[in-house]
Amino acid sequence: MNRDEIAELAAGYALGALDAEDRARFEALLAAGDAEATTALRNLEGAVTGLAAETTETPPPAVKAALMARIDAQGRSREAVVRTLSSVKPDRSRRSMWTLVLSGAMAAGIAAIAVGLVVSAAYDRRLNHLAQEAAALKQEAERQQSVVALLRDPATQVVALSGLAPAPGAKARMLWHATAGGLLVAQGLPPVPEGKAYELWAIAGKGAPVPAGVFTVDVKGVGSLRVAPIQAAGAVDTFAVTLEPAAGVPAPTGAMYLAGKL
Amino acid sequence: MQPPGTPPARTPTDAAVALLARIAQGDREAFGRFYDAFAGLALGLIRRILRDPGASEEVLQEVFWQIWLEAGRYDSRRGSPEAWVVMRAKARAIDRLRAIRRREKTFVAPVDEAVTRSSEAPGENPGVAAETKGLVRSALDGLPEAQRRVVELAFFEGLTQSEIASRLGEPLGTVKTRARLGLERLRSLLAGKVKAEP
Repeated sequence: MNRDEIAELAAGYALGALDAEDRARFEALLAAGDAEATTALRNLEGAVTGLAAETTETPPPAVKAALMARIDAQGRSREAVVRTLSSVKPDRSRRSMWTLVLSGAMAAGIAAIAVGLVVSAAYDRRLNHLAQEAAALKQEAERQQSVVALLRDPATQVVALSGLAPAPGAKARMLWHATAGGLLVAQGLPPVPEGKAYELWAIAGKGAPVPAGVFTVDVKGVGSLRVAPIQAAGAVDTFAVTLEPAAGVPAPTGAMYLAGKL
Repeated sequence: MQPPGTPPARTPTDAAVALLARIAQGDREAFGRFYDAFAGLALGLIRRILRDPGASEEVLQEVFWQIWLEAGRYDSRRGSPEAWVVMRAKARAIDRLRAIRRREKTFVAPVDEAVTRSSEAPGENPGVAAETKGLVRSALDGLPEAQRRVVELAFFEGLTQSEIASRLGEPLGTVKTRARLGLERLRSLLAGKVKAEP
């Protein structure tokens, strides 16, 4: 490559006007430390920056303020992530980490909007999407978390429920904790008719059945239900499932499908 | 005379390179100083390309936000920090200009046409033409017309050399030569070494 050719490449490069192939050639020369290319570029880029400098214009202070706010918002979200990662405890790690990571990211997004930086439809969509994702993740994490907590707790008992006349093949397991509530997982139940649902009942000794929630099953007859702690006169020792109107009823009315005792 | 082994005297370019290295490490204060040094240069160029002050300030913010994120990618072998900022500002401004033109072509223009039925044909780039030819007394005015045209199309319209060649109907080699001659002359004009073409 002769001197003129290098000078032409340097001029095109300084103007940002080289075609891709020429640009790659010239950048390779620069990367290799070619003295002629480096000198030619240094000479000609001054003409380009000089041309730009003809119209130098002081920006309004708001632009810098907005940039600094954006940087601070980014910093806060990064700190939140770092803080979370460094404070992970084995027991609650997954949940607290995701919650904080996502809330940190959302805080950054919200801060950015607050300073009026990027108010575009795309941004709103992303934020929405993030919020939905956060909610879904949180819900899923909480569900899994509660199951893990139940399984780990020595006070958790497992109750087997057996199928009765309407569905002899059905069975269920109830993980039950007197103060934390429990989780019912059932299988082999027939599909739920329109407007109906299965309702779980908790019974303490000879007391009346207390409604513990309604659930439905998928096509395979599998269903599950997270059960809140039951306010009953004594210790709950019996569980039963009946078929009831979808909204649930205060006292059982339908046929009993499953039952089990501690 | 410097004794051998001492580092070279610090120039504004060296200082800017050092600031970029600090920005790459997340140094907010260095970013503030870098902004103060180069934002005016960038904004002037962006406005010259876009004209609209609001859009120009948005582009300026985007340019410097990208600098904050990508300072680590600056390579001093490929040019001075000043030239790096100028190229980024130019590229962003031209992206925005093209987006505005697309929008005008597909939305604004048909509406305008329906409303006013104006017979006036839009110019090639009224904004740049007005600014560079009229309001701004530019060193470009000191270039022979053929060289000025190439530099303008490259710098203010963002065309590559082969695009310029096909736009002007000239051989690519001619465009390359004019770009070089134009920049060399521009450099001399800006340094006050030669008089402008009459």
